[in-house]
Amino acid sequence: AARITSSLSRLTLFTPPSYVCLTPHSRSYYTPKDPNYKYFRPNFAFKRKHYNPKFKKDRWLKVTKVELPEIDTKDDVDKMTPDEIRAKMKEKGIQPTRPWQEKPIVISSTAGTFEPYVPPEGDGKLSTTSKAGAKQKFQFLEKKGKSMMAIRKIRQYDEDFDPKDFAEEAQKIYIDTHKALADFDKVRLHQTVTERAYPIVTHQAHRSTIRWHFLGSLEPPRVVHARCTDVITTDNIFAQITVRFHTKQILAVYDRFGRLQHGSEVVARDVLEYVVFEKHIANTYGIWRIHDKIIPDWMPPRQPTLKTYKIEEIKEEEEATPSDKESKDGVAAELEKPSISVAHA
Amino acid sequence: MSINSEKLLHSGLFIFTKFIGLRVLKSNTFQPISGLATRGYLASIAGQPGGQSTGVLAAHGEPNRCGLHTSSALCWERPTGPRKFLTHNQTVFPPTPFGEQPRPAFVCHMKKNIKYSPSKMWYVACLVRGLRIDDAINQLKFVHKKGSVAARETLEEAKELAVKEHNVEFASNLWVSESFVGKGMIIRGYRRHARRRFGKVEYKYCHYFVTLEEGDPPEHYYPFRRPRTPQELLEEWMEEQRRRTIIKSL
Repeated sequence: AARITSSLSRLTLFTPPSYVCLTPHSRSYYTPKDPNYKYFRPNFAFKRKHYNPKFKKDRWLKVTKVELPEIDTKDDVDKMTPDEIRAKMKEKGIQPTRPWQEKPIVISSTAGTFEPYVPPEGDGKLSTTSKAGAKQKFQFLEKKGKSMMAIRKIRQYDEDFDPKDFAEEAQKIYIDTHKALADFDKVRLHQTVTERAYPIVTHQAHRSTIRWHFLGSLEPPRVVHARCTDVITTDNIFAQITVRFHTKQILAVYDRFGRLQHGSEVVARDVLEYVVFEKHIANTYGIWRIHDKIIPDWMPPRQPTLKTYKIEEIKEEEEATPSDKESKDGVAAELEKPSISVAHA
Repeated sequence: MSINSEKLLHSGLFIFTKFIGLRVLKSNTFQPISGLATRGYLASIAGQPGGQSTGVLAAHGEPNRCGLHTSSALCWERPTGPRKFLTHNQTVFPPTPFGEQPRPAFVCHMKKNIKYSPSKMWYVACLVRGLRIDDAINQLKFVHKKGSVAARETLEEAKELAVKEHNVEFASNLWVSESFVGKGMIIRGYRRHARRRFGKVEYKYCHYFVTLEEGDPPEHYYPFRRPRTPQELLEEWMEEQRRRTIIKSL
């Protein structure tokens, strides 16, 4: 009935007696109430709100309130800090549970390199056959005190240890690691690489295709540094030996879609690396595995990537490693001459 | 979820005790043993090959976190929601042979459990199909629907992921190749009507899936909807004319 009167009232001749005046009738939006007028005809064309706000509360009470779970939002339990979780649980009145779990921990590798080797500047730039190269001195390992002590310590546990033989063995492990990485053979990788180095070596490796070839050694591998550390107890000894490799390699990294991301399949490169091998000598079943790589400051920057990228601004508060956006080159970082130092927990 | 919805109908209360309790267990076990954690050397837990392994070392983790990680068997929760879509991000294609066109990069991303009806979200998903990523994001800014916010966030996240993880050079060189909605969980409530009548109220969730591909989008996303060329129109007209029959003829 109200609708009929409202439509009829649009006709100029008919004016219903109860209305004070004809307000501007809006069909598409909410008309604001003018305080000059005592009574307003309800706008039935505006369907977004109920025409009579008087019973809004009653209408709201009709629907039973249901507490909806917040999943995958900021209230998600996985993303909250323990303090926030505790607060939430208090709100709900849930008592915290106490898990009685004891798990044995096996420590099979250290967290980093103990007293890392500092390679001399200009190493590898001059050929030993040239006059200038022959003059360049490299200190023999026998003359270095601490390294000799460390090797003697290793000989305590492993009698037939010889640095020269070890250098050859180390090269085999080095080649095995790269081949295992190219095939992405996790079993072999775990045998040739320590737990600490594994995530760094396999960073983004599952997402790319790696083709690696070893062409030969430019100089024979040499043990340059040796140290022994103990973890928690003085008996639990780990030995870390740094070996210097100067080799010729071919590396080509293809991304997920088969596009060349880094390196080349045809052009070989000279690689000078100082690789740290670690062994848990206190353990009878300990094996020599790649643990870390030493990247000196004077090392020239590696091959530029084939694609352009943006460099993120380094915030001064964070003490993280330089945050270049080339995380995709993490694989190459382990294999060629990188400029980013290896991070550890 | 169905157990909880039944509880709801009977009691009108909604407690996720089982849900939260288990998750609390998971977070509690993250507390590292403080004595060992302070030592810089301790970082890895693993068995020797063939031994007992308890977890994976997280060397890349947050710098303040200790490298120890243990997870309890009790904490394993049955994974819920869509899982298969993101496995497309892990497929590795062989290197393209010499002479062939390089394969365009793609990235799949999704947003789970958006508190919005899937049938309403469908409109938002349809709008974005076949557009360039920047155009899509800009259009979604002016869509007056609740789901457009979630869709926009998904697109922006996917754009970042493409550059960071999937070796896409230019973030703006992407287009939306797939955009669709999946049904999520439904929580059922009830409401009162006049004259002792009751009605069911459904609180719907949806999942939104997006695939971004590198390169230029095709001219017509739906091939059946593209405008016909003059030659095609002529052929169609000719066919129609030839199909005519003269009735009551010999």
